Amino acid sequence: MTKKRAGLPEVAKYIVLAVMLIYVVVLMLFTSGSNKSFEEVSETVSASIDTENLTEMSERMLKRNFGLNSADYDGVMYYASESSMSVEEVLLIKVKSRGQIQEVTDALDERTQARIAAFEGYGSEEVRLLEDAQQSVRGRFIFFAVSSQAGEYRSVFDSSL
Amino acid sequence: MVFSSITFLFLFLPVVLAVYYIAPEKWKNIILLAASILFYAWGEPVYVILMVLSILLNYFCGLDIDRKSDDPVKAKRSIVFAVAANIAILAFFKYYAFVLDMLSGILPQEIPYRELPMPIGLSFYTFQSLTYIIDVYRKKTGVQKNILNYALYIAMFPQLIAGPIVRYVDIEEQLTNRRTSAVKLGQGAMLFIRGLAKKAVIANMSGEIFQQISDMPASQMSVLMAWLGCISYAFQIYFDFSGYSDMAVGLARMFGFELKKNFDYPYISQSITEFWRRWHISLSSWFREYVYIPLGGNRCSAVRNVVNLMIVWTLTGMWHGAAWNFIVWGVYYGVIIVMEKYVYGASLDELPKPVRHIYSLVVILIGWVFFFSPSIGYALRYLAAMFGGGAGIADKGAWFVLLSHWLLYLLAVLGSTRIGFSFIRALTEAWKSQRARTAASVIVYFGMFFISIAYLVTGSYNPFLYFRF
Repeated sequence: MTKKRAGLPEVAKYIVLAVMLIYVVVLMLFTSGSNKSFEEVSETVSASIDTENLTEMSERMLKRNFGLNSADYDGVMYYASESSMSVEEVLLIKVKSRGQIQEVTDALDERTQARIAAFEGYGSEEVRLLEDAQQSVRGRFIFFAVSSQAGEYRSVFDSSL
Repeated sequence: MVFSSITFLFLFLPVVLAVYYIAPEKWKNIILLAASILFYAWGEPVYVILMVLSILLNYFCGLDIDRKSDDPVKAKRSIVFAVAANIAILAFFKYYAFVLDMLSGILPQEIPYRELPMPIGLSFYTFQSLTYIIDVYRKKTGVQKNILNYALYIAMFPQLIAGPIVRYVDIEEQLTNRRTSAVKLGQGAMLFIRGLAKKAVIANMSGEIFQQISDMPASQMSVLMAWLGCISYAFQIYFDFSGYSDMAVGLARMFGFELKKNFDYPYISQSITEFWRRWHISLSSWFREYVYIPLGGNRCSAVRNVVNLMIVWTLTGMWHGAAWNFIVWGVYYGVIIVMEKYVYGASLDELPKPVRHIYSLVVILIGWVFFFSPSIGYALRYLAAMFGGGAGIADKGAWFVLLSHWLLYLLAVLGSTRIGFSFIRALTEAWKSQRARTAASVIVYFGMFFISIAYLVTGSYNPFLYFRF
């Protein structure tokens, strides 16, 4: 009995190390970014986008809608609906440094909240889409989608890394 | 969470202090630990789990080493496992992308890999954990059986993110037996405010100047501009890191802990050997105690000593980051320290003080070029500009930078020496009555605090430079 107790730290340290390894694997699978170039990832994501409803937008529209300068980042891909009554949009950004992530996610949150406030009361479907928006930060890639297909776009983004 | 954020200053810290001071003695460690985990999770919600697992791993490793202490073979096996596990975790997060990028550069095809960000504070808490398990193995300290006390030693928020790296033996007693008092609270608050002012006023402003200058192509920089850029960075990193360290030591004192200082006016040094006795003292001490001395230190042949020094300084460079510029920076200091020890140290001692001081500053500034450069190529181009390989000696832009920021540079120079602190002390202690001294302290420190807040509110987000290490 005494011997068993004395061995507990030894067993525990191996268990903790094993848990750490599993944790790192989980992080790699679900939260990691990738060393792929922005072009590689954006090509895969843009190929999946429903271009009947969404059009690729200019840098100026990114600035107008999110207040972000595309020149500040490694790469930007922005699709949105041309109809002012639609809230659908897909945005992919690769930041130059992790310090830029906060400013981008703040801009995404701000735009989502502003649009929910704008559509509240008369556009219940749009509000639902905005509330179900998909946002994902994987390494230096930031993905954002407001769409009835947002979940599918997100899956494509995840698998493109 | 960052010490210099409004959330920390006006919400987190006052609430934690209030709860901590109200709570009965036996609850204080638990409160501080809970606050520390919340503090870390605020900025690293994913990696807080890694920190908790690291705490558990080293806690059990400590118990295991202690349990086997009567059997040298088993104890050795246990310490090797503990050190290897810690180094492996640190190396994985810090260097695996660097190694794969290097391999991609050699191999004909690029190796695809998944990027994981470096967990904040990992280098610091891993080194702290190593001091504990190694000292338990060497029987320099007793094993900590209370997991909450051990967790508090690692996770205590004042020093968790960027040090100072606290040796377990230095804090063991304080984990269970420390005193809080109004005097310590006040002293801690004053040290914290001095650190905040260093960061918010001098470091951030110097950083802005450095950013503007370093955005220019090196080939278009005049000599004056390049030196101003480098000097601005030197002030930024010193006031940023020593400011953080002051805040950490001050905060710890507010909670009753006494931590050793991490900086001792490094820019007044008269040799590089002296500089490293004054800069990031806790890291230099760590490498001396756990790498240099075990390798044989200086109690060996000159050749072996040179090898030991080069190993230590290469590792010091690597500790700062997975990039060639940090490795070159470490090797650079290794070479200088070897030279001072074996080649020109004695001659240097005979030179007049101002000459020795200028020598030290020039060597340090050249070192910072390697440190701040994104690549070796950039560093060499920047160095070329500093020595006339750019665009002339002094251009209008450089004079504009100098003349429009002379007050900041003056403050930075004074703050880098004992004069700055002596001036503050003279303002607060030059009064006859205790009441007047107290009133002067309140005015001076509240003034510094509000000026710092004004800079923080109007400035952009500026995390501490050493967070990335």
